[in-house]
Amino acid sequence: MAQENLNPTAPADDHDEARRTFLKQTSVLTALALTPGPVVQAAAAQWDEKVAAAFEKVPLKLDINGKKYRLQVEPRTTLLDLLREQLHLTGTKKGCDYGQCGACTVHVDGQRVNSCLTLAVMQDGRKVTTIEGLAEGDKLHPMQEAFIKHDGFQCGYCTPGQIMSAVACIREGHANSEGEIREYMSGNICRCGAYPNIVAAIQEVKNGGQKV
Amino acid sequence: MKEQLLQDGKAVGDRMSRVDGRLKVTGAATYSAEYALPNLVHAVLVGSTIAKGRIRSIDTKAAERAPGVLAVITHVNSPKVPGFAAKQNPDEPPTIGQPLRVFYDDKIYFNDQPIAVVVADTLERARYAAGLVKTQYAAEPHQTNFEANKARGFLPTQAKRNPKSPQNDYDRGQKDGYQSAPVKLEAEYVHESEMHNPMELQSIIAHWEAPDRLTVYDKVQAVKGTQRAFAKDWALPEENVKVIATFVGGAFGNGLHNWPHETAAIIAAKVTNRPVKLVLTREQMFTMVGYRPKTWQRVAMGATRDGKLVGITHECIGQTSSYEEFTESSVQQTRMMYAAPNVSTRYRILGLDISTPIWMRGPGEATGAFALESAIDEMAHLLNLDPLEFRLRNHTDTDPEKNKPWSTKYLKECFQAGAERIGWSKRRMQPGTLREGDWLVGYGMGVGTFGANRGVAKVRAVLRADGSVLLQSATTDIGPGTGTAMVQIAADALGLSPDKIRFELGNSTFPTAPSQGGSSTVNTVGSAVLAACTELKQKLQQLGGAAFAGAAPDQLTLAGGQLGLRTNAAAKASLADLRKQNNGQDIEVTTEAKPGDARQKYSMYSFSVHFAEVRVHALTGEVRVTKMVSCADAGTIVNQKTAGSQMIGGAIGGIGMALHEGALMDDRFGRYVTKDLADYHVPVHADAPPVEVFFVNKPDTLVDPIGTKGIGEIAIIGVAPAIANAIFNATGKRVRELPITPDKLI
Amino acid sequence: MNQFQYVRPTKQKAAIEALARDANAQFIAGGTNLLDLMKRGVMQPQKLVDINRLPLNKIERMDGGIRIGALALNSAVAEDQLVQQQLPLLAQALNAGASAQLRNMATVGGNMLQRTRCHYFYDTALPCNKREPGSGCGALEGINRMHAIFGFSDKCIAVHPSDMSVALAALDATVLVSGPKGERRIAFLDFHRLPGDTPQKDTNLEQGELVVAVEVPENAFPKNVHYLKVRERASYAFALVSVAAALQLDGNTIKAARLAMGGVAHKPWRLTEAEAALVGKPATEETFRQAAAVAMQGAKAFKHNAYKLKLAPNSIVQALKNAAGLA
Ligand SMILES: Cc1cc2nc3c(=O)[nH]c(=O)nc-3n(C[C@H](O)[C@H](O)[C@H](O)COP(=O)(O)OP(=O)(O)OC[C@H]3O[C@@H](n4cnc5c(N)ncnc54)[C@H](O)[C@@H]3O)c2cc1C
Ligand code: FES
Ligand code: FES
Repeated sequence: MAQENLNPTAPADDHDEARRTFLKQTSVLTALALTPGPVVQAAAAQWDEKVAAAFEKVPLKLDINGKKYRLQVEPRTTLLDLLREQLHLTGTKKGCDYGQCGACTVHVDGQRVNSCLTLAVMQDGRKVTTIEGLAEGDKLHPMQEAFIKHDGFQCGYCTPGQIMSAVACIREGHANSEGEIREYMSGNICRCGAYPNIVAAIQEVKNGGQKV
Repeated sequence: MKEQLLQDGKAVGDRMSRVDGRLKVTGAATYSAEYALPNLVHAVLVGSTIAKGRIRSIDTKAAERAPGVLAVITHVNSPKVPGFAAKQNPDEPPTIGQPLRVFYDDKIYFNDQPIAVVVADTLERARYAAGLVKTQYAAEPHQTNFEANKARGFLPTQAKRNPKSPQNDYDRGQKDGYQSAPVKLEAEYVHESEMHNPMELQSIIAHWEAPDRLTVYDKVQAVKGTQRAFAKDWALPEENVKVIATFVGGAFGNGLHNWPHETAAIIAAKVTNRPVKLVLTREQMFTMVGYRPKTWQRVAMGATRDGKLVGITHECIGQTSSYEEFTESSVQQTRMMYAAPNVSTRYRILGLDISTPIWMRGPGEATGAFALESAIDEMAHLLNLDPLEFRLRNHTDTDPEKNKPWSTKYLKECFQAGAERIGWSKRRMQPGTLREGDWLVGYGMGVGTFGANRGVAKVRAVLRADGSVLLQSATTDIGPGTGTAMVQIAADALGLSPDKIRFELGNSTFPTAPSQGGSSTVNTVGSAVLAACTELKQKLQQLGGAAFAGAAPDQLTLAGGQLGLRTNAAAKASLADLRKQNNGQDIEVTTEAKPGDARQKYSMYSFSVHFAEVRVHALTGEVRVTKMVSCADAGTIVNQKTAGSQMIGGAIGGIGMALHEGALMDDRFGRYVTKDLADYHVPVHADAPPVEVFFVNKPDTLVDPIGTKGIGEIAIIGVAPAIANAIFNATGKRVRELPITPDKLI
Repeated sequence: MNQFQYVRPTKQKAAIEALARDANAQFIAGGTNLLDLMKRGVMQPQKLVDINRLPLNKIERMDGGIRIGALALNSAVAEDQLVQQQLPLLAQALNAGASAQLRNMATVGGNMLQRTRCHYFYDTALPCNKREPGSGCGALEGINRMHAIFGFSDKCIAVHPSDMSVALAALDATVLVSGPKGERRIAFLDFHRLPGDTPQKDTNLEQGELVVAVEVPENAFPKNVHYLKVRERASYAFALVSVAAALQLDGNTIKAARLAMGGVAHKPWRLTEAEAALVGKPATEETFRQAAAVAMQGAKAFKHNAYKLKLAPNSIVQALKNAAGLA
């Protein structure tokens, strides 16, 4: 199959070029093939590690907080681990790794998602916003200001996720009452129990009418 | 705002926003797994799948061959930890016994005990390779079933060795004197093991900077204690071990013990000679870092018909591991809370083939309060008395256990404030009679208390050339806002604007401070801040010369980059001059503060009362806490905002304890089956009602010079029974087993 | 997580072929269930076929009903005007599931194909016939609070966790699938299956088949519906028991009814006999109680889930009361 013709060690540009050629050439399949099958097995069969490692990786383009990244990642890398372990964007937190806490909440193309339960490669070409990208330079986002003012946290570990979620909650139109906020923020656990203060912060931002 | 503070001379009491708030809301606060060290590699632990026995063989070949793997370490190839041999039976709390020695031998003490650590260049590869380790066991029959083993409960060794240990049996008046009362009750209370489950997964980066110099970025509540522990383990001078815990993503007690995964990471770093990062999985948080132990309690209570307590007997059995004796103060409040002439308490522990528990917020007291405060409510019901009135009739103005006066006690003020705010008058005496549509409505209350402890701490205070003051102490901040409170205390002590003061913590190279636990950080470290600031000013006073001689320290100010005197606007000395007097150096002091002898004369406790309004669905048994009021007699409130957050957080933690939390174990395997945040429920936003907080806010200067008594624990102690009592009031159903899930109410 | 081959086709046909070539391949949509299971070693596909770039996310009116693409997000479906107007029961069920973030990721196809949350299925150190046929059912004699009271076998007592599927079962939906052998339609009630002797099979979907869409026929339940979900906390938890109830009322008389339960069986549990017991009766609590009694016939509990024998009928009554506006 044609996808094995791709040279995964080539730089991203060539890779795209190869992909485009490939797309033109093939009529039956328009699959975008990102990992050549035998290569994975090669790694398992203990080929030279560097070669194997290079083969295991697939190219990935992401816009993160307005910055363009061209990366090579293993397909099994989650968006969360990519952010934290490879890009050192540690503002996004890992509280469970199973979609059960919301600490890893980021925006992908403006929608809030749990970055622990999506593969980085699945987000190829998308726009990711993390807590690090919320403020405008030194000027905090109104939600960040409101969290400080209302003490919407204690240990601070759930806070980036809460804030990303809170911003989305208002944008989605789900912040119209205390009850609605509580329901639509329930995907973000705060073990310190800052919930009432977080709700107060969201209400203030929502009622303040600032652009979020 | 800050100038205003100075005008009335008070930062303490202000609702100042957190000094580290900006770091926390921008994602810039660095937690222990977030240090980007060069050459860092990743470690993943493998846990046992049996609860007891031996490892017959452990096959690590496939894991070793997997891409990127640098080392697979097990008991077979682990380097020896020098301190492991010597570590027999340390007689120190939290636990007497032998803390688990990771990779020491082939013995298995509990299910999911760490038996191997895999180190690889990436997290993905380490995790994958960890799955390739294959183990053969020689399993032995295990005991994890609490009920089946209850009869084996024993008096802790700590109590056997020390007759003064509070864990000993206690009898005041007649043993089991409740029996002579005209109105009696007897009830048993149980709760499952509860997990701290802070949002941050327990994590550590271990880095051998030299063969004899270790630095760990570790999620702990005691940087000094951790430094001592690892120095001992590795036979190093203490100063060769550096512990960093600048930000701690919640802990609630599980950072008060050093755990096997920390040593596993240190071993891995030694073997690979690389900085090693190890982050537990959420499942491992259930087995490797302690928990609030499953506990059985029996309360027997007798009262006169007019509502005077005759006696209380409170027995308790808490579970522990087979290798450490974990104890907590579950029955002790029963001795001092009410004016009962006859009180008997018994505390036992039960060793099972499980991992060691550790204090969890409001440790034993939260457990004990569930039984005691439920029983009080049950008795009030029997007597047809309002439970608030019943408590008032048995209120005591001196400590009946120690026969000493309280340093301060404003519990009655709390009762009154709380009753008003919750709308206690709406409560019906007859349970199950207040209804809104399909929901039954009820009100309940529960009292909490915790010792107003204070330890010894040192603080360094440095006046720098720019007129700012830097304070350092090796305490930690797991969330209460320690740095913020310390800055406020220092601002008042120095007469300096808070934005000119910086407080640094979470570093073992700073002057010593105890662990952050037992609600005592402000009492202990705050006092040291006060002492250091006072000493710093005295030093400045000397350097300032004649103009300042004889002035009381609180008359000195540091505003505007100069030393001033409140009483004499003319007295001024510029910082530059003072520094010149100090040979051009930063002006620095390191000061220790320790509690005085008032502790011998007075009984010192914080008190709280929690009121809950609940709705219970008549058909589905779902419970919604619709309002809570938490009132605290906690001495001076240094910061109304952050202290309020602690109270709110405690109330919500208590909702979890009452309604949601409990890890279930399948005893056939000795393995937890509910071990992530989907199966082990903690409260979410939708569970959290508005929580109104009331502070008496009257100083107790017998506890410490700032007048604080401690908040963290009393914030949760008494919440679970308040909710259980409210559920009884709503439904007439008395549930004595936590958590109170819908199945128990239909 | 094991290493795997990752492909991201943009054409349906390519996706099906990519899967068909490899018995160990899996589609991945939102990934919210599959990745969770892969992280824990419960599932270990050698190849992932990412279907997110297939054009299957439309929600559209069609002849005689509404057609929802398999890749439509749970949040998008729940917020869709058409769905809210014509299938409010479905919108309610979706909003009762998971969290706002997860609903932004989870797809309709993935939701119905999510696997059980049984503790024993999730822990590879414990026995589970669904995960490892022949290893035994851990829950049968173990901790079974969450488990089935209907339709279980001695091989498996797990329940299906989806909320959305309970509403779709009540609304007589049809699943459109496309596979190597072509396309076919599966009645929603035949989509999931009972465990019997082969609990490893959750559904009647064949290896290599792609869910393309779900069709919900026009129905008489634009109002008087209620999705009741009883759980152990107020939100973000799986159901102990859930009930999808829909009534068509003529004055106070029930003209038609739909009733299905979640959290009680290996598949969404449609209650046709209870529905029949409702039709023609007045919408009163008494009628609802009788229907609930009919619904519970044949229910059987295990050590820890006996409460469901009471919670389930109570929940049916409450859901019907809410649907009828009696609450
Ligand atoms: C913490 C948490 C809480 C949750 N709570 C709830 C809840 O309360 N109620 C509820 O209903 N759900 C709940 N869920 C489950 C969630 O709804 C499912 O994970 C989600 O719907 C799965 O959709 P997905 O698109 O992410 O599927 P994926 O994870 O991508 O796929 C799931 C399975 O379906 C297969 N698949 C996906 N799409 C197709 C297709 N078109 N054709 C053929 N096969 C396909 C995949 O191969 C895979 O085997 C919860 C999940 C989590 C993590
Ligand atoms: S880390 Fe992603 S939801 Fe918890
Ligand atoms: S602030 Fe600590 S978990 Fe939310």
